[in-house]
Amino acid sequence: MNDHERAPLVSLTDAARYFGPVRALDGVTLSVAQGDCVGLVGHNGAGKSTLVNLVNGGLAPSSGTVGFATGGSALEAGVRSVFQELSLCPNLTVAENLRISHSALKGPNWRRPARAEIGQSLDTIFPGHGIDPNAEVDTLSIAERQMVEIAIGFAPRGSETRLVILDEPTSSLDAGIANQLLAHVSRFCASGGAVIFISHMLGEVFQVATRIVVLKDGKVVAERPVEDFTRQGLVDAMGHVTADTADATGTGRDFGTEVVRTDQGLTARKGEIVGLSGLAGHGQAAALARLYLSRSSAWRAGKAPEVVFVAGDRQRDGVLPLWSILRNISVSILPQGSRRGLVDREGEARVAQDWKTRIGIRTDDVANPILSLSGGNQQKVLFARALASSAPVVIMDDPMRGVDVGTKQDVYAMIRAEAARGRTFLWYSTETEEVCQCDRVFVFRNHEISAELTGSAITEEKILEASFEMQEAS
Amino acid sequence: MTLSKMLLSAAGLALAAGLAQAESHMSETADKRIALSNNYAGNSWRQAMLQTWQEIGAQAVTDGIVAAADAYTTSENQPTEQAAQIQNLILQGYDAIVLNAASPTALNGAVKEACDAGVIVVSFDGIVTEPCAWRIAVDFAAMGREEVDYLASRLPDGGNLLEIRGLAGVFVDDEISKGIHDGVEVHDQFKIVGSVHGDWAQDVSQKAVAGILPSLPDVVGVVTQGGDGYGAAQAFKAAGRDTPLIVLGNRQDELQWWADQRDATGYETLSLSIAPGVASLALWVAQQILAGEEVPKDLTVPFLKITQDNLDDALATTPEGSVANVTYSLEVAQQVISDAK
Amino acid sequence: MTFLARHRIILPVVSLAVLLAATFYMQPRAMSYFGLNLLFNLAVPIALATIAQMMIIMVNDIDLSLGAFVSLAACVTATFLNDAPMLGLLILLALILSYALLGAVIHALELPAIVVTLGMSFVWGGIALFILPSPGGAAPGWLRTLMTVKPPFAPMAVVAAVIIAAVTHLLIMRSGIGTVLRGVGGNARSVARAGWSVIRLKALAYGLAGLFGVLAGMALVGLATSADANIALRYTLLSIAGVILGGGEFTGGKVSPTGAVIGAFTLTLAASFLSFMRLSPDWQIGAQGAILILVLTARLIFRQKGSEA
Repeated sequence: MNDHERAPLVSLTDAARYFGPVRALDGVTLSVAQGDCVGLVGHNGAGKSTLVNLVNGGLAPSSGTVGFATGGSALEAGVRSVFQELSLCPNLTVAENLRISHSALKGPNWRRPARAEIGQSLDTIFPGHGIDPNAEVDTLSIAERQMVEIAIGFAPRGSETRLVILDEPTSSLDAGIANQLLAHVSRFCASGGAVIFISHMLGEVFQVATRIVVLKDGKVVAERPVEDFTRQGLVDAMGHVTADTADATGTGRDFGTEVVRTDQGLTARKGEIVGLSGLAGHGQAAALARLYLSRSSAWRAGKAPEVVFVAGDRQRDGVLPLWSILRNISVSILPQGSRRGLVDREGEARVAQDWKTRIGIRTDDVANPILSLSGGNQQKVLFARALASSAPVVIMDDPMRGVDVGTKQDVYAMIRAEAARGRTFLWYSTETEEVCQCDRVFVFRNHEISAELTGSAITEEKILEASFEMQEAS
Repeated sequence: MTLSKMLLSAAGLALAAGLAQAESHMSETADKRIALSNNYAGNSWRQAMLQTWQEIGAQAVTDGIVAAADAYTTSENQPTEQAAQIQNLILQGYDAIVLNAASPTALNGAVKEACDAGVIVVSFDGIVTEPCAWRIAVDFAAMGREEVDYLASRLPDGGNLLEIRGLAGVFVDDEISKGIHDGVEVHDQFKIVGSVHGDWAQDVSQKAVAGILPSLPDVVGVVTQGGDGYGAAQAFKAAGRDTPLIVLGNRQDELQWWADQRDATGYETLSLSIAPGVASLALWVAQQILAGEEVPKDLTVPFLKITQDNLDDALATTPEGSVANVTYSLEVAQQVISDAK
Repeated sequence: MTFLARHRIILPVVSLAVLLAATFYMQPRAMSYFGLNLLFNLAVPIALATIAQMMIIMVNDIDLSLGAFVSLAACVTATFLNDAPMLGLLILLALILSYALLGAVIHALELPAIVVTLGMSFVWGGIALFILPSPGGAAPGWLRTLMTVKPPFAPMAVVAAVIIAAVTHLLIMRSGIGTVLRGVGGNARSVARAGWSVIRLKALAYGLAGLFGVLAGMALVGLATSADANIALRYTLLSIAGVILGGGEFTGGKVSPTGAVIGAFTLTLAASFLSFMRLSPDWQIGAQGAILILVLTARLIFRQKGSEA
């Protein structure tokens, strides 16, 4: 298998996990030793989260074994996890959140060491982070929360941190902070720690991983040192053929009348895909939220809404967790589909079924609860909800977080098709690759538009230039 | 003092002497303020009670007998709330608190606070057990017994009785019911075959009686607690049964129904209850205590009984939706005090 | 401390201060040792009940049986604890344990707490009526002494409020286990992932609620000298209002013990204030509601200002 001579921290032997008839993980053999930085890739629903839960002791394998170096539990073996969905307690302070997973903090004055420990961990990973250990988590931005979560993951917490599992750790971080993290991961592994790094950003995986494990349908389909992979080879191994995106933008397309204009100077024409870019947290999401609220009424949910919204933070703004997939899709079209105030059940089911196939939601029955879906598929449901409505303007707040490459291609195609039919899209994304899909891009800096790019001018360099200009000047 | 007592005992008879006596005490209480603490105002009896208090109180203030006679009702019928109300009344500097209590015991702490602060507390209808307070009690058990006694005089052969009780868990309900059951023990020709809670309200009683009627054998009499007789009569009518002898509780609708039945079929019954005017009695007792009069801690109120003979008079003076009432004068209060000595 | 965290407690304090000033203006007699005690001594059991409710709200549940439970605890205190102290103590302990068990069951079976506690309110009420079918019983002498004690400088009610607030603040806001309990309300999954048994934590939170519920019942009997099966039914809604008035929130584990005590005192004071204003009882409930809405609106406005800043 591998030429690692060091004792493995954790080793899985033919480990499998079933949820009813679903084989989430179908016999995986894997070991992680000190100094390893394993990049774990695979499309949504490939079994990555299940594998993570087996390694961190959250789930027991249905068959096979999961063994730790110390012979004890995952916790004793020094295995720590940073999860994809933010899993901090928002009502507690940063230091108090550390206390939740750090039982050794005792005594009447446990706060002081807690503050010191989390502060030191943050300083080490994200120098110049500016996060107050006494701040309540819900006063922090989503990026800051993710930084705190990562810092807690790496904090010693009374024992030694040996293996840290990072599940999409950079999804909310901008490039600069993500690089700080990647640098720390490299340092950590070099000093004898181990990391399992899960990301859809293949560039990051190539940057930090020493070894890449590719999961597909619950099985390991490839496991090689990073040098033996090429980007294309990795994407092929994951089972999706990346569509050629070179000529994605519809240059020369005619757009209709202007349908959106804000005080900030944000404009959009009928049938246009307008991107919002720049560093994370520079006012893009706020601009979209303001636009949405100004165009929709809190009092009258009309039969024909002007705008719909696809939320990026699906836990907070998106899914209705207790409802089925069907209800989650149809909630936006209930006013149109209802007759005399009663829901048209058949029409509702038809629409849901239609979108399930069009957008490829992986489920056997749309009546299943929404939480039975993986994160990426939940996001697809949110897309379906928005696109199923008749609204001419679709606002998307970084909707592709945690969505796999294949799904992204599907969604891009669908957005273009819908745009061609006259819909207008306003699309904020943290990924430059997505922004390049747009017809026109507004780059935000410090809550203002710093550049407007169109057509062939939309390049990564131009966007970065506009994002960072001020910093260079000052 | 002895002379004064003798005069007092004769007050009911010797009007002039009584008036002179009253006059002499009136000036002593001219600067005193009395408050009514009431726990509930949601039925006709309580409404009439508050009405009486307001009339008599306003008159007493106009006459210069007391400086104030204000009424306070708690917004919810809860002992904790009334306890807070009593404490507020102490803070507001009232000299006497006349109390219709939500609970006979749960207000004792607050009543004790009042006594310690030198405030006179007179409880009536819903009385309190705290020894430092005065009690104008209704012998509810006696009322229950009297109902059965009356039935025995009318129906010497006895038979099955239906009992309509009041609000579960309220001691008035327990007391009247106890009296009724005592009465049935004495007159063992009667048998209580069913018992429902009518909450002293027509609609509740009607529903409750309608619910139990199909399961009952022939019923010759209905013993009630007041406020429930009319509902019971309607339930019997709706079930197509003969109207039994229903003891009534002085409500106007009950009296009206009785008068109609009497005119139509010669129906004869008895109606008895506590007059809401007992509040005026309590007011005068408080005034007497404030005037320095020696008053026993336990006093008893007479029932207001309506028979076939005075039905028309009672009906004429009772407003629609209300309850037959009588206002007690200072002289009657003095009579009640002297009777208790 | 962030600005937001700090002003969460400022608003309840200001509300109480404003109301207190208005009350003193209306009724100067209240501005004394004796007056303050009369004004606030009945708020002590409400404050304890509010703390109990806060424990439940802290873990994202709500307790609709609290009033009935406090009534039951009061009935046990006025009967068994007075006649046979050991037995009474055992029964009260059993009540606390049954609350803890209730919390575990609600979590284990994923039942909605609002339904379970609504059902339990009838159970508690039934047992209370069984123990004390008609009002009565007597407060144990020591309890009566404790509740009517006249400490130097400040009246019992004020001293008790400070003690309750201090103890629960240490327990919930400062201690490690209190932090974890609040974490359950904030994000139960992350607490579970950190290796805690959420079912035990919920049982602990409910157990604490039971403890404070029992204390509320005892304090109430100490003040009222006897009990009644319906004595504290109002406490259910009062305690919920108190928690919210004190800066707590229904979900998310955002609670403040100090705020809860202040909230309970504010509610009590609001009732007295309206009574001093000689407002007709028909309007009093509405006016009480208006005060509540006023304070909550103020809070909302402050928070929006705070998040804009």
